[in-house]
Amino acid sequence: MSFLQPMLLAALPLVALPIIIHLINQRRYQTIRWAAMMFLLAANRMSRGYARLRQWLIMAFRMAVIAGLVFAISRPLAGGWLGLAAGNRADTTIVVLDRSPSMQQAGASGVGSKLETGRRQLVRTLETLGSAHWVLIESSTNRPRELESPAALLTAPSAEPISASSDLPAMLLAARDYIRANKSGRTEIWICSDLRENDWNAESGRWQSLRDSFLEFSQGVRFHLLAYPQTAPDNLAVRVTDVRRQQAAEGAELLVSLRLSREGGSEARESIPVHFEIDGARSELTIEMTGPTFELKDHRIPLERSHVRGWGKVSIPADANPADNDDWFVFDEPAPRRAIVVAEDPLAARPLQLAAAIAPDSLVKCSAEVVATEALAAVEWEQVALLLWQAPLPDADTAKRIAGFIERGGQVIFFPPRNPGPAGFQGIQWTAWTDRSEDVPVESWRGDQDLLAQTQSGGPLPVGQLQVRKYCGLSGELTALATLRGGATLLGRVTTSAGGAYFCATTPAVGDSSLATNGVVLYVLVQRALAQGAKVLGNTRELTAGDPAGEDPAGWKRLTGAEEALSTDYPLHRGIYRSADRLLAVSRAPAEDLAPVLADGRVAGLFRGLDLTRIDDRAGNLSALIQEIWRLFMLAMMVAMVVEAGLCLPRRRQPGGTS
Amino acid sequence: MFPDRRQRSFLDPGVLSRLAGFPLFARRPMLGTVSGRHPSPHRGSSVEFAEYRKYVPGDDLRQLDWRAYGRSDRFFVKEFEADTNLRCCLVLDTSGSMEFGSHRVSKIEYARRIAGAIAHIALQQGDAVGLSCVARGVVRNIPPRRNPAHLTSVYDILEQTQAKGETQLVPVLHELSETIRQRALCIILSDLFVEPELLRGCFQHLRFRRHDVAVFHLLDPRELSFDFRRPMRFLDMEGGPALFAEPNEIAERYHKALGGYLDELRQVVLESAVDYHRVSIDDDYEQVLMRFLVGRARSKGAR
Repeated sequence: MSFLQPMLLAALPLVALPIIIHLINQRRYQTIRWAAMMFLLAANRMSRGYARLRQWLIMAFRMAVIAGLVFAISRPLAGGWLGLAAGNRADTTIVVLDRSPSMQQAGASGVGSKLETGRRQLVRTLETLGSAHWVLIESSTNRPRELESPAALLTAPSAEPISASSDLPAMLLAARDYIRANKSGRTEIWICSDLRENDWNAESGRWQSLRDSFLEFSQGVRFHLLAYPQTAPDNLAVRVTDVRRQQAAEGAELLVSLRLSREGGSEARESIPVHFEIDGARSELTIEMTGPTFELKDHRIPLERSHVRGWGKVSIPADANPADNDDWFVFDEPAPRRAIVVAEDPLAARPLQLAAAIAPDSLVKCSAEVVATEALAAVEWEQVALLLWQAPLPDADTAKRIAGFIERGGQVIFFPPRNPGPAGFQGIQWTAWTDRSEDVPVESWRGDQDLLAQTQSGGPLPVGQLQVRKYCGLSGELTALATLRGGATLLGRVTTSAGGAYFCATTPAVGDSSLATNGVVLYVLVQRALAQGAKVLGNTRELTAGDPAGEDPAGWKRLTGAEEALSTDYPLHRGIYRSADRLLAVSRAPAEDLAPVLADGRVAGLFRGLDLTRIDDRAGNLSALIQEIWRLFMLAMMVAMVVEAGLCLPRRRQPGGTS
Repeated sequence: MFPDRRQRSFLDPGVLSRLAGFPLFARRPMLGTVSGRHPSPHRGSSVEFAEYRKYVPGDDLRQLDWRAYGRSDRFFVKEFEADTNLRCCLVLDTSGSMEFGSHRVSKIEYARRIAGAIAHIALQQGDAVGLSCVARGVVRNIPPRRNPAHLTSVYDILEQTQAKGETQLVPVLHELSETIRQRALCIILSDLFVEPELLRGCFQHLRFRRHDVAVFHLLDPRELSFDFRRPMRFLDMEGGPALFAEPNEIAERYHKALGGYLDELRQVVLESAVDYHRVSIDDDYEQVLMRFLVGRARSKGAR
């Protein structure tokens, strides 16, 4: 139970008024000389059961009348989850809104998505509760924005659904910074989310610092989690996994690979018509789906020979979540994959050059050029996909140039020089070589993503067969992708906003490791980095919503996709865009497919020690989370008055009794 | 006729004159000293034929029925009923509880009026009137006499008597049963705050002694209604312990106890053939007496 006017609850001691009046009345007794004492004494000896009970009931109902009145004027709210303190008007109310695609899932009735319901519920609830300031932190920018009133949540474009994932820790960090910067008073933080693991990043270390910093606030910060954890078991998601254009006997054809996922993991057989749209031309394919996922490999769609570049869309019929029923792609002739090798050790340079120059497909043109450090200024970086660096870490201008290359989306793999110097790159330094007399195997590696991910057939790379004899230490903050026995990092990645910067702790030189002699791992590693770097070079590019990856959205023009999106928000909405003469396909984040919902215990653990109230709502819910219920108390008061009056009525005497 | 000309507070000449037309009858044969208007257990010389009886030597020859002798050649004596006066014993409860009265009069004052009026009527028709004031014991006692001057003594005692002390009605009634000579009219004026079961013995004792028992059960209207609003401290008028009570809480049980008592008492008086009159002291005592006298005239006793 919570109240809009909790100060009036201070009048609750008035409930004791009937007792006080009763006690005063007892003291104001009259004395009378009485003859018929025998009846009084007899009455006194009799069982007092009902009479005593009636007296207590009358007293209780009188107290209930006063309590009902006090509660009624305190304006109670239905919805006990808000807690007692919710009644105090907050100084600042921060709404943390998850706009991710999974929030577009509709309820069982099909009316209203989670996001729409959440916004409506927030508006109704917050308008009832009131606050001095309203701030919205939504998941596209993670920046606080002042609102005039909660009603703006219904109309503001910044509360509309997007295709990008959310980052809840980042949004809460923004809320923390806002509270700290504005020195706001008592703050209520309302989080509206569907608790998907990819949005919440529950494993992130930021949660600990968030907890600590919120606990430090003396003004008191309350969290209200408006959760929509329900999943839609029949919801299907479609994602294009690969698109290739290849020449055929009669022209050309497009090979489209896609994956269908079912959220509930159901095994039921289902016919699903999949629609393809290539530059506006439609075709359809019916898929018999039996398992929780379905992979379609290289579905051929004929193209005209002259049709080299274009865009496409794959869609399935509408279901619970409209945001994952389509996916967009662009295609073009693959861009040439050009690699630059900078190596001080020729024994290391040669395997690297070979690994980068041998194309995995006849359609792909690969080239690798060994360049001296001094000649780097003359390199046309706009055409380079990968830089393989086996030399002392770059300094000054070179480092700046390479950083720009990475920022543009290029990939760099650093190998250790023979004499590690003090120079560092992006916070990483080589320390010293370790020479083991025996071969050290790789103990663990990340097979789920990045350069050492499993193959397309699902098998692991033979990383475990690698033997490393000499390796150089690394200092600095990087994410380990492979670790040697003993804990030393073999391959690590530096966190970058775009592109990739990797550090490999050994070289392919024969005396250092079996990277060159084994070959497979080095080749896959280099080719994957090369392919990744080449993606930004072609005339087409596929982007993940919310991550422009170095592209400037200012010049984008929408070809097809979300109609309602503002031009500044194009990178947030899936669709096809044109930037100069390039085609860009923006897709929803891959993690959005089949993202599990965080368990209740995990969510509670994230807010451990903080003041959190959680309400589980469901999409399409039309009833308000809270509503004023003073009428109920007024009615209860009147009922109590009537019952009290009934109890006070003297009992009807037996006819012909004592009269 | 009556030498007493003093103004008595409990006597209303108007009421007395209106009641003069209603004689006081006994319900059973009375044993008086002189001729009167009440049936006697003995044969006498009234005009009312009773029976024929065989002549036994020694009988008065004047009572022989010669006509019967002429028809049957046997001697029969013709007997007639005797009419006698009665002895009216007024038993007035003067315990402390009789002082109670929530209206204009107290119970003792009301009892004085009834006793005074009955004494007047009885004496007027030639009956003897006595008075016993009882509380813990017999406080004052004046035996029945039919002398008109005796009425003054009865009125004096009525006037002087005060309600005080506790009630010991049961032993007192047993005592009076024995001390009053047989076949008298005993009129008890009391609030009867005694267990009815104990009273049963008293009434049966009086009945065994061939007395005609009449009871005026005097109750105050407030004792019947118990309509208090505020918490009250009840002081016992007969010196018992005081009691604090919340009327709202206790009223119901009080009425239950009172109702049970009255029902039980009604049963006792029915079984004991007592001429019982429950009187609320806010009733007009003239009406009460009228009902009493008329009722007795209807049930005028067989011999």
